[in-house]
Amino acid sequence: MLWLYLHFPHLLLDHIHRNQPSTGALAIVDGAGHTVVQACPNARDFGIEAGMRLKTALGLAPELSIMRTEARQEAWLLEDQARWLYRYAAHITLSPPDGIWAEVSSLQKLYGGLPSIWQTVEQALAERKLTAWVAIGHTPQAAQLLARAGKGECTADKHHILASVGSLPLPAAGFDEKSCTRLQRLGLNTLAEVFALPPTELARRLSPELLAMVQKIQGTRPDPKAPWQPPHSFRQKADFIHEVEHTEGLLFSLQRILSELEEDLCWRQQDTDTLLLILQHRHQQATRLRIRTTGPEHRAEMFLKLIRLKLDHPPLSAPVTGLILAVKRFTGREAPLGRDLLGETEDLDEAWHTLISRLQARLGEQSLKRLAARADHRPECAWSANNPGKPGKLRPQASVTLPRRPLWLLKAPRPLAQPPETWHSGPERISGGWWDGQRVHRDYYIAQLPGGELAWVFRDVQGGWFIHGWFG
Amino acid sequence: MSDLLSSLLQDARVWQGHKHRKTTQPAEPTGYQVLDNQLGGLGWPRGALSECLLDALGIGELHLVLPLMQRLSEQGKTVFWLNPPHTPYAPALAREGVNLDHLVVINTDDQGDFLWTLENCLRSPVTGLVLAWPGKLASRDIRRLQLASEAGGNVCVLFRSRRQADQNSPAALRLELVPGDHQDLKVNIIKRRGSWPGQRCSLALGHRADITTQDSSRVVQGPWPRSQG
Repeated sequence: MLWLYLHFPHLLLDHIHRNQPSTGALAIVDGAGHTVVQACPNARDFGIEAGMRLKTALGLAPELSIMRTEARQEAWLLEDQARWLYRYAAHITLSPPDGIWAEVSSLQKLYGGLPSIWQTVEQALAERKLTAWVAIGHTPQAAQLLARAGKGECTADKHHILASVGSLPLPAAGFDEKSCTRLQRLGLNTLAEVFALPPTELARRLSPELLAMVQKIQGTRPDPKAPWQPPHSFRQKADFIHEVEHTEGLLFSLQRILSELEEDLCWRQQDTDTLLLILQHRHQQATRLRIRTTGPEHRAEMFLKLIRLKLDHPPLSAPVTGLILAVKRFTGREAPLGRDLLGETEDLDEAWHTLISRLQARLGEQSLKRLAARADHRPECAWSANNPGKPGKLRPQASVTLPRRPLWLLKAPRPLAQPPETWHSGPERISGGWWDGQRVHRDYYIAQLPGGELAWVFRDVQGGWFIHGWFG
Repeated sequence: MSDLLSSLLQDARVWQGHKHRKTTQPAEPTGYQVLDNQLGGLGWPRGALSECLLDALGIGELHLVLPLMQRLSEQGKTVFWLNPPHTPYAPALAREGVNLDHLVVINTDDQGDFLWTLENCLRSPVTGLVLAWPGKLASRDIRRLQLASEAGGNVCVLFRSRRQADQNSPAALRLELVPGDHQDLKVNIIKRRGSWPGQRCSLALGHRADITTQDSSRVVQGPWPRSQG
């Protein structure tokens, strides 16, 4: 078995750099805000290093931008990396906080050899502007040690790998501090010297755990790794060093996230119709926006157009410090229907979805309605308004049997102010609703009012006269 | 004739009424032969705005567009109702043979949203007909809508108050609707692109309330107390 290990030396920095076009000196500090965790090359030029106290760092570079990390943030980021790596390798194991294993011996045939696997991974890293140290080892531990030391080579030769691991100094071996000191006191400096010790003595004099670790590096003790399964959801976060006040500033990182979403959906062969966009503010509760399309969609540009509408109207309530885009609903992709082979005719289905989604994004979902008739005798209950969905192919049966009704129905009956000029037909008695408490007991007439309008008027039980509709 | 005038005539820069030829702008028949004849045998102009000016609802204004609505919804085109003053009553529309699946009713809160929505609807290829009830419209807004309508090539009918009849409007067709004495609808053409205005006709729309004859024999009893009348 061969293992590929990716070590991300500064994942948080990479993450932040991807969301802003350019930044000055930047340092990541821990949750409490006391210590520098990671420093970007610009900051290192000032002499800032990881582990330094924040006060010292600010003294060295007063212009330093500071980003605080969340405990979960790193885990999420690592999972993001695993998600794209999963497209290239089936067996992946996470090594929190900053590494991923991928089993590659089974992939050699698919990719045509180790060098091309290596190249594919390097290329994917470059596309995502990530810094990662890659190494291949015959055991997971060996690969990890080599990657962390930055001594990875593209080779499948076990002896060569063992020799490289053996040349590593003891502190790079990842042993606990106590064992490391004891080994050094024994006069051992490299891992190769530890490998040369007899196993029984190593276990007796130091600890059985240390022996297990050494054997895992060498490959004489099994070291199974449970495969990671990608979660069935999409979640991406972008943090901004400087607060973003205008929509345009958000679009840069939204565009990147959305194109990653598109890629993700393409890989899954899925579509989605709901996006959740959370905008975080410094002093205010986060704004949660739900972006819905009327039909399944996967293209980044369509999502971006809808989000742009949503953000422009109303404008941002407060400056944004970070944004999260999450997708939880996925639908299987359907082949587009009714399109000719050459794609010359306009796809009306798609145009319909685009238009309705746009309108819903700006006006709100409740502003658009599709009407339907309902089987009820009471006029106000004989219709319903639904969300517009794509019209089905099923034709409703011809409704010749429906009684004569006006085309306009008033939202609420209006008292009849002046007596009608002519009475045309009636009465039609409608009585019902005793079953749900909304009792209706009326006599309906069609009458012409002095203004020439034809109205649908009724008299209720109390003898009051009301207009309930217009024959438009 | 002065030189100036003859040169203008030669350049064909002056439109002359007697040389008027039939226009061939795209149009949809209204479904009423009488009205179509008055509109040069064409009907509702496509890719342009039409205005209906009326004082009160219930005079048959929806029946004027109903044949078109029927036809378009049957063809699978979407019919938008934008800010209708009352609820379009679904059972009545279904009875008239309108496919309710292709009807979308939109209500907007403010004028900005209204114009934006109308413009989007007009520009979309899925739209067949837009019925809109704007409040006040600035002339600039109408011109903008007119351009959107030209881009989309669908029928748009704006229902406005008769008070705006005197106001100048870039709409291609302007109809004044007045109720007649016998449940009919008098249509007065105020403006029509490519021809003279001023034609009038009357459409019998008594069938909208199942009124066939003039007598009111079908009423069991005129229930209105005479004393109050």
